[in-house]
Amino acid sequence: MDIVKGYEEEFNQLVDIYEKNTEDKSLRNPAVATIIVSGNKVVGLNSVKGMHINSKVRGDGLVIIDVDIEDNTVIPIPVHLCTGFLKKQGEQILKFNYMIGNNVKVKFKSHCILTKVEKLHHYMESDMYIGKNSHVVYEDEHFHDERGGVFVETITKMKIDENGYFASKFYETKTRVGRINVVMDIELKDNAKANLESKIYGREDDIIDIKEILRLNGENSSGIATSTVFATDSTKAHVINEAYGNAPYSRGHIECNEIVKGEGVSVSTIPVLKVNNEKAELTHEASVGRIKQDQLETLMSKGLTEDEAAEFIVNGLLS
Amino acid sequence: MLTLENIKYSKNSNDIIKGISMKFEEGKVYGIVGNNGVGKSTIGYIIMGLSDYRVNEGEIFLNERNITDMPITDRAKNGISLLWQEPARFEGMSVKNYLMLNKKIKLKEVEKALDLVNLEPDKYLNRLVDKKLSGGERKKVEIASCVLLNPKFLIMDEPDSGIDIMSLDMIVKIIDYLKERGTGVIVITHRKEIAIKSEYSYLICAGKVFLEGKSDKIVKYYEKTCDTCGHINYAEEN
Repeated sequence: MDIVKGYEEEFNQLVDIYEKNTEDKSLRNPAVATIIVSGNKVVGLNSVKGMHINSKVRGDGLVIIDVDIEDNTVIPIPVHLCTGFLKKQGEQILKFNYMIGNNVKVKFKSHCILTKVEKLHHYMESDMYIGKNSHVVYEDEHFHDERGGVFVETITKMKIDENGYFASKFYETKTRVGRINVVMDIELKDNAKANLESKIYGREDDIIDIKEILRLNGENSSGIATSTVFATDSTKAHVINEAYGNAPYSRGHIECNEIVKGEGVSVSTIPVLKVNNEKAELTHEASVGRIKQDQLETLMSKGLTEDEAAEFIVNGLLS
Repeated sequence: MLTLENIKYSKNSNDIIKGISMKFEEGKVYGIVGNNGVGKSTIGYIIMGLSDYRVNEGEIFLNERNITDMPITDRAKNGISLLWQEPARFEGMSVKNYLMLNKKIKLKEVEKALDLVNLEPDKYLNRLVDKKLSGGERKKVEIASCVLLNPKFLIMDEPDSGIDIMSLDMIVKIIDYLKERGTGVIVITHRKEIAIKSEYSYLICAGKVFLEGKSDKIVKYYEKTCDTCGHINYAEEN
């Protein structure tokens, strides 16, 4: 691990918080490729064979990180991307550029550690290209401050080349959201596949916006986008799932489940399906409302209280 | 003893149950038989105390304690349980966690319960209780769950529905197992092979107990008369 001189303390603080929240000790493991960003600076970097990471900080504080993975590279241990902010307030702007070659297999584990901030705007923009026959998994988990002063924006644009595969999991379920805006816009070429899943738990006056777009441009391409939001108290949540069937035999499915519990909750979902090729096929499923009565009563008939049953159901949904 | 006294229940101005009285003892098997729509499942839901099935008139007693207004959770804690005809699905919940809702239940007991319903523990413990389980598998998991609860009274609502015909023997075996353990089993069914396992049966027609008595006689009467009767859905229509 290459810890940048002068930033050892910040590095250690972030790693300690991460380990406390996850019990995962990977960040100090020299065999694990790692990028650790604190505020507007890179404080730790570790690469592995076939992977090249370059970072720079622009004068206005924008942190730019380029991740290139060579053709035919298989990275057996997940690559860790850790972004944190240790000051009480401010702004963190990050730009990730991923260039993933052909026949690559890699998994990224991203974590945003924003547990100590009163007021923060965290903006992360990612551009990712996934080469032919490559297999990429991206898991993104967030840990925010419980006072709700965090505003996270994460905007991802992606192109998946022929036979490529991408799966993402975006989870913000363990801590308060604050305000969050997630956008994923994915273009798929011939035989490419994508599977997007987001799960967010809103509390108090959290604001949640999710937009997932599948552009099925390649023949036989397919994609699934599933969003699950559990909105409590006076959470506001708005989910838009879009799928465009632009090529023959392209198939897309979008699904949104929003479960509400609380008098001040306001949630909505808008599915958009557009077929531009007669051989494309798109479907959607959506549900907005309280936890299903038959689920609650099934568990209550086994001795759980209504609150225990609801917690059990929600924990399953958000797991 | 579980007793229903002159129970009446209506929904949307329709009288569904029109004054039913029944008695069930622990360690015995009872049948509730009748055509579709006569109110059999409704009786089960009323005993369990589901939110949409609160009675308009009449009283329910569990060992002389009036439980008519008792919430569903408390009824369960007092030993009443329900095997649902179509059990709910739960995303993200494993079979193991579902069967161990009660933290006192041990893994060995869970494995034994799965064996009883002909599901191999190694294959099923980590499966999810979601849409990916077939109807039959889900039903078997639910039967295992009811066995693990060790209730004083178990209402089995169409225990064979959704299950392949080869598994009828398993259902019969489970009923015997529960009886031996002292559970009062109330089987809602219109399948002869299941109904005949009970000692005493109630034949329901149009929301009323039309006939009651030893199960062999009731089942014979049902087969002879009710199969050709036009009273299907009579309870809901009237």
